[in-house]
Order: sequence, then C-alpha cells, then structure tokens
Amino acid sequence: MEIKEKISEIPTAIQNFAKRSVNLFPPIAKDCTYRLLMNKVAWVIIVILLLPCILGLVIYYETEDSRQVQNNDGKKIYYNNDGNLIHEEKRKDFVNQFDLIVISFVAIIMAILFSSELINEEYENKTMQLLRTTPIHSFEILLYRYITGTLCMFGILGIYSILFYLTTMMPSGQHGIIENLNVLLLILKVLLFESIAFMGIFFVFTIYFNRPFLIGIAYWIIWESIVSGQNYQKLTITHYLNSMMFDSTKEMWKVEASDYNLVNSKNDIIATEPLTAMLIIIIITLIMLFLGTRGIAKRQF
Amino acid sequence: MSIELEQVTKNYGNVQGISNISLEMESGITGILGPNGAGKSTTMKIILGLSRPSRGIVRVNGNDPFTDWKLKRKFGFVPEYDCFYEHMSGLDYVSYFLRMHDMGKEEAEEMARRALSELGLGDAMERRIDTYSRGMRQKTKVARATVFDPDILIMDEPFQGADPTTRGLLMKKLTEWAEKGKTILISSHILHDVQSLTDNIMLINNGKMLAYGDRHEIRRLMDNIPRPISIVPLEKGNLRTLAKRMLDEKWTKATTIDEENNELTVETDQSEEVYKELPIILQNEKISVEKIYSEDDSLDSLYAKLVEGAQWK
Repeated sequence: MEIKEKISEIPTAIQNFAKRSVNLFPPIAKDCTYRLLMNKVAWVIIVILLLPCILGLVIYYETEDSRQVQNNDGKKIYYNNDGNLIHEEKRKDFVNQFDLIVISFVAIIMAILFSSELINEEYENKTMQLLRTTPIHSFEILLYRYITGTLCMFGILGIYSILFYLTTMMPSGQHGIIENLNVLLLILKVLLFESIAFMGIFFVFTIYFNRPFLIGIAYWIIWESIVSGQNYQKLTITHYLNSMMFDSTKEMWKVEASDYNLVNSKNDIIATEPLTAMLIIIIITLIMLFLGTRGIAKRQF
Repeated sequence: MSIELEQVTKNYGNVQGISNISLEMESGITGILGPNGAGKSTTMKIILGLSRPSRGIVRVNGNDPFTDWKLKRKFGFVPEYDCFYEHMSGLDYVSYFLRMHDMGKEEAEEMARRALSELGLGDAMERRIDTYSRGMRQKTKVARATVFDPDILIMDEPFQGADPTTRGLLMKKLTEWAEKGKTILISSHILHDVQSLTDNIMLINNGKMLAYGDRHEIRRLMDNIPRPISIVPLEKGNLRTLAKRMLDEKWTKATTIDEENNELTVETDQSEEVYKELPIILQNEKISVEKIYSEDDSLDSLYAKLVEGAQWK
C-alpha cells in the first residue's frame, strides 16, 4: 500500500520539482557560472589551450603559398605538394590532436577542477551548511550545480574545439572547412558525453572525499588511463568515448580499433556500439547523481 | 513551534560532542551558555538537522530535522562562522537564499532590500561582501536568517564581532521577534548578552547539560553551594543585632560584618529559605533595610562556577 502511495505521488513530485526549478535554478546557475569563469586555473588552462591554435595559424601562413589549388564549380580545393587533399589530412590531424590534448587530458583536468570548485569550495566556505538549513532537497543542490558545471565545461571546450577546428582546417580553405563539419560535430558529441560522464564522477568524488583533486587525478591515471587499455576497459568511461570516436572515424579514413585501444589481449575488437555507449554513459551519470545526492543528504557537519 | 531533545548524545569518533542532553523549547528566547568547546554549536547543529545524534531523539514539531528537508523552511540560522559567497553583494546574497525558499526574483529582491535596510545596511547592500566589515557581515547573516520570517531562529554567538550599535540593534530585534512568538535559541559565551535577553537558559559544559530552565530555578539547584547574601540596614547600629539574630537560624553558615560599608553578609546553602524568612525576621526585629542582595545571583557568578567545574546537583 505504501509503495503504491509513493508511486502515485511521483507525478506530483515531478510537477513540483519542475515548478521549483524556475526559482531555484537561475540563481544557482548564475553563481556557479561566475565562479567557474572566475577560476584562475581554468583561465591558465584556456590560455595554454590557445597555444596550439596560434601554432596552427603560424603553420597556415608559412605553408599558404606552397599549396596547389583546383577550381571545381567555383569551389577551391587545396592539395599539398604530394598531390593529397589537404582537408583529408587536416581533419585527421584535428581529430587526433584534439583527442590527445583535450579529450584525454584537458577535459578531465577541467572536470576535476570544476566539480571541486562547485562542491568542495562550498563545503570549505561552509555555504553548503547554510544550504542544508534551507528547504532545498539534496538532489536539487547537486543537480543544478551539475548541470551548470557540465554546460560550462562543454561550452568552454566546445568553443575551443571550434577555434581549434578552424585554425587546423584553414589550409584546406572554405571548402575543406565546410566539407568536414561532421568531424567537428563528432568531437562536439564526444565532448558533450565526456562532460556529462566525468562531471558526474568527479562530483561524487568531491562529495565523498576530502581531497577530491588528488582522488580525481589518481582515478584518471590508475583507472581511466591504465585500465582503459586492458581487458576490463568496459569499466571505464574512456572505452565508451573511444568507441564513439572509432565508430565515426572508421567511416572517414582508415583506422584500426587498436588505434583507440579497443582490442583485448587476444586482439579481438571490443568496441561498443555508439548508441549503447551513450546509453551506458547516461546510466553511469544517473547512478553518480543518485550517489551524490545520497552523499550530500547523509553528510554531517 | 516546539523543539525536543531526548537523551541526545553526539560522538565524533572517540570524542564526545554532547552527552545525554534533554530539553524542550517552546516560543521565546532560550540562551545556551557555556565556554568554548562546551557543545553549544553541536546542540544547535543537531536541532538544525545538520548533524545526526549518535544516540537519542531530536524532534522539531514532531519531525526529524535531519531527514525532513521541508522542515527547513521553519529555520533561520545565524552561524558563528563566516559562510558567504564573497563575490556577491549583500543584496544578492540574501536574495540568493530567499530564492532557495522557492521565491521569485522580484519578490526575493524586494524582501532582501527591506531586511538589509532595517538592519542598517541600506547604503552598503549593493557592495560586494568581501568589502564588508565584521559588523556588516554579522548584520548580513542576521538579515539572511530572518528575512523570510522563520518560526525558529537559531543564532550561534550572534553578538561576536558586533560593534555596540549592532549589538544594541540585534538585541532590540531579538526582543521584537520573541514578542511575535518565535522560538529563539541563542548561544553565547558572553553572559551579559544572554542575561539581558532572557531568564531561560541552558548551561552546558564538556558536552553535558548542567542545568536548564529559569535562571532563578537554576540558582536553586545550586543551593548546596554556599553563597553569600548581603543585607544593608538603614541604621548602622542594627548591624550587630541582626548578625546575632541570623546566627540563631539553621540556614546560616557564617556571618561577616563590614562596619565600613554598613553591610552584613550571611553565608548560606539554603538561599530560598533565607529569602522567605528574612522579611519576617526584619519585621519582628523592627529593622529597616536599604537593600538585600546577592552578587552570586548573577549569571556571571553561575558561569564562573560552571567553568571552574563546580559540582552541581
């Protein structure tokens, strides 16, 4: 009977939650965005990230004159001295370099940094104690911070990916840039799911552990970097992100599953279907949000 | 609104925060007194649902404050420590927490403006909090805690760092809120602050509740501790007669005559009896007195005994 009653209350609870979000979400989002954008370490990372873009521009101006051009129905198609299409080379460079610099490194550091700023700082400044004396549910405390953090991370890295794409693809001209937008979309998709997954995981670390930064780094090195290349890699987020990358890139150029570490010790391909990968990431995130909510509710001061 | 604590104990690992505390609070001001580290903040956190008792039961209006998050709309909390979003202005800060009460932007801003102005922050409310003085911060905390008119106000050392003007203002406000029927719990280690607000106090030391109730009742509990009661007769000649008469009474332990100040001090461990019988004795002896007083009646004296670790029953 009690379970039935609880189930019957769910639609009302959802309705109330949606209604309350109108008042609760905007001030939390505003404060969190401000804190993330004012985070000095985030700015250092952004400045460092701009260096490859500047390098891309330098390379463009230095090699601009050595390109071969062919006019095709008014479209300028550029080739290099070896007669290869520049945009085919550059799109590969873009994906590989972005994967190496951002997806495997910067995005994870940023997720650790942002989750720590949004949750751990509130514990340290004791504003979390005050929030726990206000009529706001632990899930609401967590969710709105999580959404803001994820959007900020995706926003910053998304803008950067566009910039990086433009500077990398510039030598291939307007045609090359437009022709390969699917590569940019792939990166944006992977970035979105990476933000969703890692923010959730690092939020949980920052709720449960006193030194979330160290735990986050340890998790990244031990779990995501080492385990992701092994037989148990399906236990890592990296595996699912790699699967999404592999599935799309294999359609565009010659790429092996081993290039993304998606093989086991017997050299069998163990890539996951992209839709399944996305679904698993969402399920993991929901579990993380549940654990995070529980962590906030149970934490004593 | 009622607050009930029943045999509440809180341990932090091997360290005991509070032990077997029981109390019932209704509307009005209750002062919680004790030296630093006595367990005042722990008691408050348990009432607020920020901490869960290791043993015992805590109920606010019959509900468990740790699990019932909706109950939090009844609470206004002024913590001892600073807990600001330093980049926000005072107005944004107070509005922000009002929004957490599911209020619209305009309504929250309007209420925050009014609350901050009432506490004298009208000119500074648009400034960032990191530029505020200690007094201004204290006022901001009080504004945040009281702006939504909570039924229960819990204030941990609210006068700490407050200048005399702020202190006076807070005292006035607290009296007003108590008159409105709010349940107010104030902790302090400064006796004067609590003494001037309420007679209803809880004395706590080393995590143990030593006494709880009206301060005169608490004083009665101390009757096993000898205490001096001073009598100042109008005529100096009556001093010795009175001293002799006092020595006949069973409740007199000793008398001291201070000729210079025309004062007789009676040491007793049954002060209630003294206060009851002294007027009759004076009437029978036809002695008029200027005043009868006991310095030991003040909370300062109680407190001094408390921190000295006196054994009470």
